[in-house]
Amino acid sequence: MSGQGTATAPPDVLTGGETGRRAGPARRRRPRPPTRDSGWWALMLLLPAAAGLAVFEIWPTFQTIYYSFTSWGAFGGHAWSGLENYRTLIADSDVFHAIVNTAIITAITLLAVPLSAVVAALLSLPGMRGVTIYRTLYFLPVVTLPAAVALTWKWLFNGDYGLINWLLSKIGIDGPHWLSDPATAIFAISIVGVWGSIGYNMVIFLSGIRGIPVDYYEAAELDGAGRLAQFFHVTVPLLTPSIFFVTVITVINSLQAFDLIYLMVGQQSPAIERTETLVYLFYQRGFAEHDGGYAAAIGVLLLIATLILTAAQFRLQKRWVHYG
Amino acid sequence: MKRLLSLLLVPLLLAAAACSGSSESGGDSDEQVTLTYAIWDQAQAAAMKQIIQEFHAQHPNIDVQVQVTPWESYWTKLQTSVTAGSGPDVFWMTMVYAQYYAIGGGIAALDDQVKKSKLDTSVYVPAVTKAYTVDGKLYGIPKDVNGFGLCYNKKLFDAAGVKHPDASWKWTDVIAAAQKLTNKQKGVYGFVAPEADELSWYLTVPQVGGQVISPDGKRSGYDQDATIQGIQFWTDMITKYHVSPTLQQTTDTDPLAMLTSGKVAMRYCGSWEPEEIAAVPYGKANIGIAPLPAGPTGKREYYSNGLADSISAKTKHPEQAWQFLQFLGSEKAAEIQAKTGTVIPAYQGHADAYAKAMPEFDLQVFVDHLKYAQPFPASTDTSVWRDEVTKQFAEAWTGKAPVGDVSKSVAEMMNTALSKEKK
Amino acid sequence: MADSMQLTARRGRRRFRPRHPIAHLVLCLGAIFMVGPFLWQLSTSLQTFGESVSVPPTFLPHSPQWSNVTTVFSALPFGRELMNTTVMTIARTVGQVLFSSLAGFAFARMRFRGNAVLFAIFLSVTMVPYQVFLLPQYQIMQGLGLLNTLTALFLPGMFSAFGTFLMRQFFRQIPMEIEEAARIDGANILQIFWRIMLPMSAPGMIALGVLVIIWSWNDLLWPLVVNSDPRQMPVSAGLASLQGQYTTNFPVLMAGSLLASLPVIIVFIVFQRHLMSGIAFSGVKG
Repeated sequence: MSGQGTATAPPDVLTGGETGRRAGPARRRRPRPPTRDSGWWALMLLLPAAAGLAVFEIWPTFQTIYYSFTSWGAFGGHAWSGLENYRTLIADSDVFHAIVNTAIITAITLLAVPLSAVVAALLSLPGMRGVTIYRTLYFLPVVTLPAAVALTWKWLFNGDYGLINWLLSKIGIDGPHWLSDPATAIFAISIVGVWGSIGYNMVIFLSGIRGIPVDYYEAAELDGAGRLAQFFHVTVPLLTPSIFFVTVITVINSLQAFDLIYLMVGQQSPAIERTETLVYLFYQRGFAEHDGGYAAAIGVLLLIATLILTAAQFRLQKRWVHYG
Repeated sequence: MKRLLSLLLVPLLLAAAACSGSSESGGDSDEQVTLTYAIWDQAQAAAMKQIIQEFHAQHPNIDVQVQVTPWESYWTKLQTSVTAGSGPDVFWMTMVYAQYYAIGGGIAALDDQVKKSKLDTSVYVPAVTKAYTVDGKLYGIPKDVNGFGLCYNKKLFDAAGVKHPDASWKWTDVIAAAQKLTNKQKGVYGFVAPEADELSWYLTVPQVGGQVISPDGKRSGYDQDATIQGIQFWTDMITKYHVSPTLQQTTDTDPLAMLTSGKVAMRYCGSWEPEEIAAVPYGKANIGIAPLPAGPTGKREYYSNGLADSISAKTKHPEQAWQFLQFLGSEKAAEIQAKTGTVIPAYQGHADAYAKAMPEFDLQVFVDHLKYAQPFPASTDTSVWRDEVTKQFAEAWTGKAPVGDVSKSVAEMMNTALSKEKK
Repeated sequence: MADSMQLTARRGRRRFRPRHPIAHLVLCLGAIFMVGPFLWQLSTSLQTFGESVSVPPTFLPHSPQWSNVTTVFSALPFGRELMNTTVMTIARTVGQVLFSSLAGFAFARMRFRGNAVLFAIFLSVTMVPYQVFLLPQYQIMQGLGLLNTLTALFLPGMFSAFGTFLMRQFFRQIPMEIEEAARIDGANILQIFWRIMLPMSAPGMIALGVLVIIWSWNDLLWPLVVNSDPRQMPVSAGLASLQGQYTTNFPVLMAGSLLASLPVIIVFIVFQRHLMSGIAFSGVKG
């Protein structure tokens, strides 16, 4: 991994002339904690974060697991119901749809990874001009409120008056009602996902490419490799840590997809079954239909899915990620 | 309490005589209190604020804040917040949820206060009062009633040389006119058939003698042939005659917006909608309102929803909330709503003010429709089957399955749901 | 942190290539895809409803309809919601950066019993999707009587296991010598943290801060759940309710979207460099 960040800051500048520069005893590879007992201080420093997490994340996790075994009343109160929620969960066609939908959204959104790698590579070409402008334009979607993104794309995808179908009609295609047609809605959603994640991936890749020593390219050029060959034989292999990171982030984000479905499709749409995700279902059951116990079971399912996916990705990374 | 008395003395209040007993309770009436009033219709917010202004003038110690939450999230948020005790003090209620909230303990029974204040509930449209009476107790003060009519685009009718609709129209006239008005090249449809029970088949099913739910609320009526006929009127418009935008189109673009932008020539409209139509210049200039076309045999019955104002069972200010509720149910409040043309008040005798509120439209049509009103289909847990019904009928609207088949499986689903309800 | 411009300029000097016409063509096409929606949003926001649904579409409104903007302001307590979002974002960012730095420092630089166990617990929390916390967090807010308050919006979001992890990685990079020198001068842990570690970890804090800002500004689910009063909602939830009210009044919806995204876009353009390097850092260390 490249020597990014703090390593570039010379220590003596930061400590000032206070102590003067001291040659350390034996230079350690890694800083190790001092050997003195600082239990109290440690406790004080850890307390805010640990207490906050205990109250707002750790305890709620167990609480949710407990709730997943209960059934809830309309206006409060819950009772133990054993495995009832999980039995319903297994038979629930909505849950099945949600899992399939989430997988499709993830798969399509992953297309943004190669696209952004190409953009980053083009922007890193020697002598490339206008890099800052391109970078800004490509990054705009990342900093735009997802709610605003959803409304804008919903309008673009409008079947009768949307810009996209008008453009398609210019080349003789009669565009569908993207968001209300069960066959197309999920693709429309995923396109927005791609659009929204290119900028973020690009920035990661730009910094990854920057960490690749110029010598590699020079050596490749001496071997007679063209730009394309350089991209595939130098850039891509040395970029695998960034590619891995971006892939993990994309998968996790897709697993969490909610805003776009909530705002662009919604419960009334005939396409909802073909677009709902686990998080959407969680919100719908837990907060719209007030079935907290069942929502908790969906939450547990989501937790398990996340753990499995994360474990799988870290296992697989050994096969293809090269940490230079 | 003096303030309450002075309110009751306002000469405009015909109900004064009935209410003048006043309540003795409430030593805290001088305390400054802010109530939250939740509604879902932005178009009515102005009228509601005007009512609050009048109320506040008489009760300077009670502030009321209107909270508009769109229909889609209104019930989600309401139930969550009422359960948590953080919800609004007073809110709109529909017949769909009345029993659910009353039995679940979300809204307060009003009988004690009604008795104490000697409020005369006979001034309201009896059907509405009845719908909000659960197990013999009243849970809401009736706010309005809904009538329906046929909104049509005069300009498009004239351009196509079609005679404007009138009281003689039946289903066949609508279909014939829609066929003449449809002009696919220009992107104009003769009619719009949204999949929205209250604004579609709840208006036609009773016209052929069908029913959504049996009068005792125990059985679904969706497996009856007449009911299916009433629903087919709508799906035929899309899948047989091709004179209406598809379900996808009405999901992408609001049908009312289609009407007010000249994309569809006819739409069934509710009495609360003219204000929204008038807000769009094109709509104001070109839309006319005719009586709702009758069924094939001339029947005009329809399912009518009417709203009520209810008090949260968990309000911290029950006394003040009741004072506000009384004002919402007063003749003054009815008059304000009627005059702005927002809704037909449930307080009887104010329909005329509503009918005259917007000279550009013939609002009398809606008032005349009221006499055919049937109780809105509801059971204890209406929303459970109602949402599912809407979901399943999408198959029929998109032409994937025949209406009859869908309707029969809907009936099965609904009967199962009804049998599970707590009585 | 080196700017990519410098580097490419350096490379350019070494092997001069005048232009990359194909690269520019590809990048320009891409840029149209990226920016097009914004331009369309801007154009629609100034149209009448009639213009917006005309076929062929209207590209330049006949006369700009500023009334769409006023409609947004009358339909939503927009200024208030913007302030709510700002407060929520600042509080969450300050909280996460501060608490994560403290804890991250303890994990990275202090030896105490249970360090490894506690850190493992923190790490496992980062794996839990946040929807899992939602129901109980809602109940905690309810129990504290905080529903429909600004505090409810930001309180649970002030703590972060991921942030702690990120800051720990950062503190571990700071050379040991500096700390030892300060110790010899008699500085205690708190002084070391405050005077030396904190200034040196500024890039890490900025990186974390930037991530929290984006996440918080965009957050929709939690506000949707915890606050039902429009005056206590952030802009994201406000836009959702605007859509509920003006279902398909596209010009009004576009005006609202534009107004809601403009502040962040401006902040982004001003602080672009920090933001980019912050994200790049998270990519390297995450």
